[in-house]
Amino acid sequence: MSELATRIVEELRQRPRQFSEVVEAHLDVAWREFLYAWGEVRSADVLERDDAGRYRVRTGP
Amino acid sequence: MTPPTKQSFRDFLQRLEEAGELRRLKKGVDARHVSGLMAQVREASFFEQVIGYPEWRVVGALVSTRRRLALGMACAESEIATRFEEGIRRPVEPRLVRDAPCQEVVWEGDAADLTRLPIPLMHVKDGGPYISGTLVVSKDPEYGRNVGSYRMMYRTPRETGIDLVSPSDMRVYYQRALDQGRPLPIAVAVGVHPYELLAAAYKAPIDIDEFAIAGGLHGAPVDLVRCRTVDLEVPADAELVLEGELLPIGWTADEGPFGEFSHITGEVKWNPIFRVRAITHRRDPIFYVLQMPWENDWLAAPVIEAAGLQALRVASVQPVAIRAPVGSCCYWSLIASIKKRPGEGKNALLALLSVAEVKLAIVTDEDIDIYDPDELDWALTFRVQADQDVLIVPGARGKHIDPSVRADLLGKGGLPTTAKLGIDATIPEGVPKSHYERLRYFAKDAVRLEDYL
Repeated sequence: MSELATRIVEELRQRPRQFSEVVEAHLDVAWREFLYAWGEVRSADVLERDDAGRYRVRTGP
Repeated sequence: MTPPTKQSFRDFLQRLEEAGELRRLKKGVDARHVSGLMAQVREASFFEQVIGYPEWRVVGALVSTRRRLALGMACAESEIATRFEEGIRRPVEPRLVRDAPCQEVVWEGDAADLTRLPIPLMHVKDGGPYISGTLVVSKDPEYGRNVGSYRMMYRTPRETGIDLVSPSDMRVYYQRALDQGRPLPIAVAVGVHPYELLAAAYKAPIDIDEFAIAGGLHGAPVDLVRCRTVDLEVPADAELVLEGELLPIGWTADEGPFGEFSHITGEVKWNPIFRVRAITHRRDPIFYVLQMPWENDWLAAPVIEAAGLQALRVASVQPVAIRAPVGSCCYWSLIASIKKRPGEGKNALLALLSVAEVKLAIVTDEDIDIYDPDELDWALTFRVQADQDVLIVPGARGKHIDPSVRADLLGKGGLPTTAKLGIDATIPEGVPKSHYERLRYFAKDAVRLEDYL
């Protein structure tokens, strides 16, 4: 996983976030680079969603 | 004689520009800011440079108003429903061509990477960036080709989610493929003329080819080209085509929320995944962003208004004009004026309330300009007695995304119902028309304003 993808996972482990919050935290990164990292995070299959549609890192099995 | 040719997406852009309805923005824009900027522009937006995507230009909000939709349909704003009806009555079969602008550039294998497209983030609560203005083509061995429009949420460079929750022909096709444990090949065209999108939005019978309906709207055949990696055909003049398949995983992947056509954020849904095999596009491609909710609403208007006209005629009521107001998302309300005979105000209401999920119908006489809100208020004020001219139909079919139906109380799989309201704003039976004679200004026709300026 790239450094950016690892950072995104860490941020989502801290607290659930809307996708736009994740984007906002990385506006300094080129959009294409961000999308690529987001793809890495999704491919890692570590995310789940809460009722508000926020992403969080799965804790259980 | 040269056969007629259909209008292309680029012809439509030109038409908008000539009408002063397209704003060009020359400075480079970040794809993350495209929707936020479009929301501030009165006209449709044309972004000439997108940061990080030097090959691409981006357009959007093309049919965000009734005027721009009417420009796309080459008719007056009051005629979009009748224009749509004429088109669907005279389908024109598509024709297959060998060479297509949409295949001038082909990305296959690792090159078929969705991050190469300037996919925008539209709303604050969206679950991801969305490809919104899609024309999705699929095929079933028994029913044939289907064309619909489905939102697609970016997941990875090779995958998107796709909203296949609502009943649709492609949902049937996918279920049949899923039952056999096989993927459903699909092709997604982006950047097509509004007629193609209208045909896709129209709930045609399952065995009717939506490309033939689009041809009827154009008055000329839609040119189709075979895809490179799937056995499907797409409009040859599309700006962009994604080829691939819906994986046979059923409704198991999170997708959404997305800003819905009801102007409200929806919920996370469970949906299939689209995996891309190839991306093809024009040499100087334009990425189309269908700006939700406005464009979705206006693309629904001719369909719902035409259904209203049809319902009135079936009820033997003669319609004069009809409109689906954008405040009701061009979906939940219908306002019509009619040539009324005694009792037909109520007949007309019953007919209009039978259309899809329409929950508010207003009927006026033909002398009322239903496009003028003040005229409508006047009719509602002086032609309505609430105890005689209002119909309430409880327990009719509703739609989940209307918060007032309280769908959250129904439990999983519960189907909501709604009450429907009809207001007969025609002149009541027994009241002479002369009581509604409008004021006229003395000598208005005898004096000319320009003589006094």
